[in-house]
Amino acid sequence: MRTILNNKPAFWLLLSLPAILLVSGWRQGRIDSMDMLHPTGEWSARLMILAMVLSPLLSILGPKRWLNWLVVRRRAIGVAAFSYAMLHLLFYLIDMGNLDDILAEWLAPGIWTGWAAFALMLPLALTSNDASVRRLRAAWKRLQRLVYPAALLTLLHWIWVHNSYAGALAHFVPLGLLLLARFIKKPLSQMKPQGV
Amino acid sequence: MRKLIPLALAAAIVAGLPSAPASATGAIKCKAGPQAGWKSQDVLKAKLVKEGWTVRKSKVDGGCYEVYGTTPEGDRVEAYFHPVSLEKLYVARRGEVLFRKPGY
Repeated sequence: MRTILNNKPAFWLLLSLPAILLVSGWRQGRIDSMDMLHPTGEWSARLMILAMVLSPLLSILGPKRWLNWLVVRRRAIGVAAFSYAMLHLLFYLIDMGNLDDILAEWLAPGIWTGWAAFALMLPLALTSNDASVRRLRAAWKRLQRLVYPAALLTLLHWIWVHNSYAGALAHFVPLGLLLLARFIKKPLSQMKPQGV
Repeated sequence: MRKLIPLALAAAIVAGLPSAPASATGAIKCKAGPQAGWKSQDVLKAKLVKEGWTVRKSKVDGGCYEVYGTTPEGDRVEAYFHPVSLEKLYVARRGEVLFRKPGY
């Protein structure tokens, strides 16, 4: 069981599972293109948040086995978040069906925020490989910080496109609180040697 | 700077909390009484199609009928209608409000 769980392709399969179920539902005609938008976007946001809460959790809880297990897979989680964003965009294009309608609404608050979030995620996904980490060195970390404005844009996109706060806040408030808690906790943890 | 970016995001999320309306779903509310008195969604759809709309999907949201479709003018929108009078109350395109009946 443990070897299966720690197997890299198995982790990718786990990350792909919601997409597989959604796309097969769509192909069977059970899910409209329009109704593919929300779940694909939500999975993208979920995985983005998961990747983002790991370091605040690490600094609050200290080293934990399960946390480390996730931390070593963070890059895959981030790439999966981008992949779901791509799927989300693909179904948006399928659902809209023509360029005129897409251009007519692209400055609407709920839409430009989505495009902008996607544009910020793109360089993160493209540099999520060992070669880029080596080549960019310190700049790689700075680049990855684009995830913070991307997350804010994702939150706004969700709220505006959906006319609803509940789902978006249920996902983003824990992230906000953890980031805040880490900031408050920081002076304390700096006094003792860092575990990781 | 390194710490400020996450902090700014955290502050934006947490500061945004109180601005969330107490009723967290639906662009508007209809308060149209018990559903037994409502007209059916099919009646609304037929009316809209006659007026030149293309209706893609409809559902109940905030006690109103919410319709996803294209207006006679060719805008892809989501629109809210009163379930009893079938009056148009609110039209928006992805968060951009195109029409809102006064009082709603």
